[in-house]
Amino acid sequence: MLMLRQIYWLASKDILIEARSRQTIGLVVVLGVLIIVVLGLGLEPSQTSGFSATAILWVAYLFGGVLCFEKTMAVERHDEALAGLLLAPIDRGAIYIAKLISNLILMFSLAIVVTPVAVLLFHFDLSAALGAFVLIMSISMVGFAAVGTLFSATISSSRLQGGLLAMLIFPISLPLVITSSQLLLRIFRGNQELSFSGLSILIAFDVIFLVASWLVFELILEP
Amino acid sequence: MAQKKRIPTPAIIVYWVVTLGLFVGGLFLLAYYTPANLRTPEYDAGAAQKIFYIHLPIAINTFVAALLVGVAGVAYLIGRRLVWDDFAYAAGKTAVLLGGIVLLTGVIWGRSAWWNARPWFVWWEWTPRLTFSLVLWLLYVVYLMIRPSIESANRRALVCAVYGIIAFLDVPLVYFSTKLLPDLHVPPGQAMSSGMKWTLLYWFAPITMMHVGILYHRFCLNRDERALYESAYDNEQTPAVA
Repeated sequence: MLMLRQIYWLASKDILIEARSRQTIGLVVVLGVLIIVVLGLGLEPSQTSGFSATAILWVAYLFGGVLCFEKTMAVERHDEALAGLLLAPIDRGAIYIAKLISNLILMFSLAIVVTPVAVLLFHFDLSAALGAFVLIMSISMVGFAAVGTLFSATISSSRLQGGLLAMLIFPISLPLVITSSQLLLRIFRGNQELSFSGLSILIAFDVIFLVASWLVFELILEP
Repeated sequence: MAQKKRIPTPAIIVYWVVTLGLFVGGLFLLAYYTPANLRTPEYDAGAAQKIFYIHLPIAINTFVAALLVGVAGVAYLIGRRLVWDDFAYAAGKTAVLLGGIVLLTGVIWGRSAWWNARPWFVWWEWTPRLTFSLVLWLLYVVYLMIRPSIESANRRALVCAVYGIIAFLDVPLVYFSTKLLPDLHVPPGQAMSSGMKWTLLYWFAPITMMHVGILYHRFCLNRDERALYESAYDNEQTPAVA
């Protein structure tokens, strides 16, 4: 119970900082919309019908997500706040989960803005399986955030973080991109039901990396 | 500091001579002991099908290299000894080298095969196996690319250890996710004749020996390089405890 309360405190601290300063969410949302616009200008209208939605949205989510991970960890690096956090009697695993939750809240707010914009600009028709779309994307995002949170803590002390973090996370997240886009292709183009075997790959990704990150996090966090 | 000249010991010379001998023997087996072509009415494996006997052992060795990167990463996180990082770096390099050869041989093999009198593949198709090898290769290319961009040796070892572990855990996930991709044609499963089976088994020997040899030399080089660097910048020697 104490751990849950600690996680709640840590995450709400991050969200409170973000709500007062609004330095990350504005940046991330604008970046996401910009990516969508650039892709929209570059693609033929015929290429942007429903099933290419995942590809376009993934690009926006991936880059926006990396920015979220960097910023939530940069808050701790600022003024040596991390040293204070590490001195506090809190399990490192709790710190990881709390960071993950604040990253997820940021990413979901990004998705809530960017997805309708993309639907509007590209005439995506998601009505056929809106529930499946939300489910697949949410599960994918949890896995993406699990990996991203881990690596943002690993490298945040080096100076070249920007490109480096994206380099680390993107190849690891490729199974998520492949699986979610294939599943959505089948649903939207092939009119198939959502198969559990496909979904189980996404769930396995989430579980494996949540557990692995939780175990490794203890060893890597240093001021 | 006096430079120590690295002279190959007799054991190493013998090792490489044996490896080379096994390679030459393998080429003879390929030439005389395996069927020249595999042909069914609709499938023609093409002249390049003999690449398969080299392709598969190298692919298996790539997985072994990936595993070694992950294991060395775990060992580093537990013991915090930079020697493990030197080893992981060497294994990462061989993983990229072998993975690259797997990709190349796979593409050549696929291009030369014929299915219903037309090329089975163009050079590249997004089929499960090709995508899997490409993603696997990219994972370890990134591993090599991130190393130079982190300056502190301990920090670099830490990031790379975590990445090595996560990347290895990623391999089965990549495998299963690429299985969702549509597979165009699957060549008909053919029972392997004993000649084919033994040639394939034989080829594991020279390729694994080559792999181990390269790994060993690379590891020694990394270790010496770090020792040289540490003696030049004594202040870099931070305590092993994080």
